[in-house]
Amino acid sequence: MSAPEQKNTCAEIAELFVFYVCDEVSEQERVAIEQHVAVCAECRARLKEEYEFHAALRSIHPAGQEPDSSGILLAQCRSELAEALDELDRPAAKPKISRLGFLRRWMALHPAWSAATLVLLGLVGGIESAQWLSGQRNAQALDQAVNVRPTQQLTEDQLSKMVVAGVNLSPSSDPSSKNVRVLLSAEQPVELTGNLDDSDVRQVLTYVVRNGDRFDPGVRLDCLDALRARADNGEVRSALLCAARRDPNPAVRLKALEALRVSAADSAVRDALLEALKHDANPGVRVEAVNLLVRSLEAAEQEVARMPDAPEMAGGNMVQAGGTNAELDGSLKNVIRTLGDLRRNDPSQYVRLRSAAALREISARSEQ
Amino acid sequence: MSLPRWALAFADESGQTGPTDSAVDTVSSLATTEERVLVQQAQTGNRAAFEELVRRYDRDVLRLALNLMKRTEDARDVYQEAFLKVYRNLHRFRFECSFYTWLYRIVTNVCLDHLRRRQARPEDQAPEMHTAQFEEGGTDFFERQREHRATLDPERQFIGQEIQAKLASAMERLSPRERIVFEMKHYQGLKLRAIGDVLGTSEETVKNSLFRATRKLRSELGVLR
Repeated sequence: MSAPEQKNTCAEIAELFVFYVCDEVSEQERVAIEQHVAVCAECRARLKEEYEFHAALRSIHPAGQEPDSSGILLAQCRSELAEALDELDRPAAKPKISRLGFLRRWMALHPAWSAATLVLLGLVGGIESAQWLSGQRNAQALDQAVNVRPTQQLTEDQLSKMVVAGVNLSPSSDPSSKNVRVLLSAEQPVELTGNLDDSDVRQVLTYVVRNGDRFDPGVRLDCLDALRARADNGEVRSALLCAARRDPNPAVRLKALEALRVSAADSAVRDALLEALKHDANPGVRVEAVNLLVRSLEAAEQEVARMPDAPEMAGGNMVQAGGTNAELDGSLKNVIRTLGDLRRNDPSQYVRLRSAAALREISARSEQ
Repeated sequence: MSLPRWALAFADESGQTGPTDSAVDTVSSLATTEERVLVQQAQTGNRAAFEELVRRYDRDVLRLALNLMKRTEDARDVYQEAFLKVYRNLHRFRFECSFYTWLYRIVTNVCLDHLRRRQARPEDQAPEMHTAQFEEGGTDFFERQREHRATLDPERQFIGQEIQAKLASAMERLSPRERIVFEMKHYQGLKLRAIGDVLGTSEETVKNSLFRATRKLRSELGVLR
């Protein structure tokens, strides 16, 4: 083959590389390309470049990677579409207007009959509305909360895609029976109303608190506000511990620790406090952990003092409440060691001072 | 690369990569019949049937819209506009092509409209992600990628981001049609013939668009000789 002919073939073959690498050539073209690159080094190099370009394109969107991997955007889109479809499906007001037009014409032609009909309608309406109003008053007297809820408990999948639009607490004299209203947008908008005895409400609130990276800090703080009244519940306490340990926002961690105040005697809470003291980057959180730790030891000592037969009662309650004397001693040593470390090494002066004060308090109590 | 559900359906329909096993064929034909029933129910105003159709394909619609529009807000607009168009015009669908071809045609038309509007109003364009390194010019970026291959992960990640930003910026300079063809071929995994069906044009025209788009991108990325 002459040089110009060869050049011509190379140009023709090279134009097919774009389609060859993405499997869009005919069998005939494939054979031609493969035969040509077997003998032409320049085209072989070009084909290699084409493959590299193709591989780079794929590396930009690696296999299985979804641009909306959390599914939140999809849930929002579905919810907006459902609203738009509801709007489209709403019956148009036009037929009503034309019916009223017919009525107006009839009334204009029969004034006497119209007046009589209107008086009659007024009478009937008056009697009916009086009855309806008294019925309403009775219903209000029952003072029943209206709960709008999904027919079944929220699934893990729904929870993972939900967006919390708001959490409202209605004031109540009894903090434990406080009513909570949660507005969610999962695949469809959902409104949950109930108190913390309701497992659905608890499930959503604890999910939000556990998954700090997915929700707005304001929403997480509201959820903690709602949950703090039930810190004695195992599920709630575990969610609070999780938030105290892992939430990215220091204000949320601080609030979670505050909410755990009532369960300060629990050994798991004490472990969380020690962890916060050692690892939390925020001095405010560390100070609150010191305060709670002192309180926790005090509560555990009281618990042990109240039950002198602790070893015989070894079991769930004692272990949970703070443990036996031996366990308490172990905890105490651990706490003293951690506070001592903080007093010497903590970068914040206020934390160092507070740790020193806490150590003094503990030693004064043990001397008594 | 995992392909969207409709890419597989297209491939199956065109018979180019379809399964040969008879059991799989039966399952596939049952799925088509079931979909036909769903479409017919939706055409009679059955909202639940329509929503089921939406759920079958909306993940792919959103992915296409996000990849093409690059902006979440625009992708949301495309999603809503496309499905509302489908809802309003479903009674016009006569089963002359498959439902997903018809749906994809509507989605790509909406995307094309949005992209053209965006091109006509440059002030609406998303800020391009240029950094000092992207302006170096003249250096083969694949070479640079190789140089960094052995280095630490954050650096590799940065290189990946660099390529992505550069490609995104180069994609902005493609015509709306070239961009759609490129996206559907490389990231939605459609065959050129199926892309032609969706865009209502010949396979040859789609081939030309893909060729032009690839040349432009390679030239932008500094590897075309």
